[in-house]
Amino acid sequence: MILFGFIFFPLLYIIVGFFPFPLKWKKVLALLTVGGNLVNAVNLIYKISHVGMIKVSPGSWPAPFGITLVADRMSAFLLLITAIVAVSIVLFSLQSVDRPRLERGYFQFLFGIIIGVNGSFIAGDLFNLYVWFEVMLMASFILMSHGGEQPQLEGAIKYLILNLISSFFFVAGIGLLYGKMGTLNLADLSNKISQLGDAKVILNPSLVLIVVGFAIKGALFPFFFWLPASYHTPVPVVSALFAGLLTKVGIYSLIRFYTLILYHNSAFWNPWILGVGTVSMVIGVFTASSQFDFRKKLSFHIISQVGYVVIGLGFFTLSGLAGALFFLGHNMFAKTNTYLVAGWVHKRKGTLDLKNLGDVFKESPVWSVLFIISAFSLAGLPPLSGFIGKYSLIKSGIEAHHLFISLVALFVGIFTLFSMLKIWIEVFWKPVKEGVKSFTIAGDERLMVTASGILALMSVLMGIFGVPIIDYCTEAAADLLSPEKYIRFVLNV
Amino acid sequence: MELVLAIFIGLLYACGVYLLLRRSIVKLILGVFVLSNATNLVIFLAGGITRSGISILQDEVVVDKSNITDPLPQALILTAIVIGLGIAAYTLALKYKYYKVTGTDDLDRLKNTDQR
Repeated sequence: MILFGFIFFPLLYIIVGFFPFPLKWKKVLALLTVGGNLVNAVNLIYKISHVGMIKVSPGSWPAPFGITLVADRMSAFLLLITAIVAVSIVLFSLQSVDRPRLERGYFQFLFGIIIGVNGSFIAGDLFNLYVWFEVMLMASFILMSHGGEQPQLEGAIKYLILNLISSFFFVAGIGLLYGKMGTLNLADLSNKISQLGDAKVILNPSLVLIVVGFAIKGALFPFFFWLPASYHTPVPVVSALFAGLLTKVGIYSLIRFYTLILYHNSAFWNPWILGVGTVSMVIGVFTASSQFDFRKKLSFHIISQVGYVVIGLGFFTLSGLAGALFFLGHNMFAKTNTYLVAGWVHKRKGTLDLKNLGDVFKESPVWSVLFIISAFSLAGLPPLSGFIGKYSLIKSGIEAHHLFISLVALFVGIFTLFSMLKIWIEVFWKPVKEGVKSFTIAGDERLMVTASGILALMSVLMGIFGVPIIDYCTEAAADLLSPEKYIRFVLNV
Repeated sequence: MELVLAIFIGLLYACGVYLLLRRSIVKLILGVFVLSNATNLVIFLAGGITRSGISILQDEVVVDKSNITDPLPQALILTAIVIGLGIAAYTLALKYKYYKVTGTDDLDRLKNTDQR
């Protein structure tokens, strides 16, 4: 029952949102909805830490025949982080999004994304995963173009076409896989593939199609081009939501898919995963350092940080997967917060061009501190969450004898720091260039500070309480590494 | 029959990719529709195509199992078609709005948000 809540709460808001209530009620209702979602997520992680796994079969069809929703430790962890990010996004939206957008169903589409993300994290069936992807994508298409300014529409066309192509890859892969195996339930698939023996090579074409679909959604090299071309166009808080949640769903699916299905043929897949992760890390960080727009710089960093998670998956050891999971969670907080600060700068100054900004530190030390906490967390400085994530990833890489990749990861960390410092100096520290008209748009921003403060606090807390969280992630990774447990639980055998 | 359908799907994919590579946005969108239908047919073909009776089985009737089509792929396609319809409607609306704002149908004008 508890799993239905993740879909029920946002869906309820979407339905209620169609009624002509005054905007104030809708705002309060949106806050209540994310609050309910958060309570549900906390409840779930509490239960999961005792039981291990929870499943629900809607319509009471037994596992391989009907749709099954399954949550294990990894899902619960990511659901909790999604819920926290959603709370702060809604808080931030209340003050930063303009009234016409709020009146035209902004929150409904936002909750559409949250349903899709929540659903993807608990889907136990490939086709169900595809449907959640589409729910999430439809809502994100609309949010991307919501408001209809010219750059938004341009970004939306690119985002739309490339994401649709990724869906076609995914569905074609699903169709071929079903044709060969006769099932789409992840646990059942894993079980049947393990009985195939050497014949599993015939599955490779369909698996490649599915993995390409995930890689486009997760913005991995060489499929990331839609991301930097579109993420800087919508309303800043929408980019924050996208950056925090959407690519991470692609990566979550890749982890789930790898640990249940691809690992049967790891001799073929492992080098690809490691290679793609490493190149994504390097390309993302290099391209980021040549950008002169606040949000564009951050968009390229998404690609780089997704690469870190993927190399953690590629190491395929207990500590590697635990590090990857921790890093995924940390990145959702830190990345969203840097985007939120960008949103605040945009609201205050009306521009995000690094060349025309400056002196923001004098204007608002609070926001500067909020930015630097998340930025240094992304760069991996102690005692923030990024340090623990990177440390455990690189350590596990050295233990798994992937020395070169670990060195590359360290090297990329330095460049991340360089980019973050560049933003810090250009936006917050340097005096405004002569001849550039500097102005300030005042307004109430208490809710915005709270929203950003929650996320910054989470980065600090994840750093300070690193040990219990890493322990939890290690348990989650242990579940991932022994898929028999998952299969037995889902199929009831 | 499988072979004919397979070749036809290949043709559809070829047409879709060709349309995707055109400069006009309308043709790009048409290409997306063609690809989406080709993908639906892939699922249909992968499920196996046997001309046969319905697959609703009664307990007492003994049926030759090789003579029934698997109904699941058809259910999957139905879902995929519905999703495709929604996306098609949205894409066309987006294109219309873009045309109203900029007055152009040229993909090469879509350069303003790219990384340079």
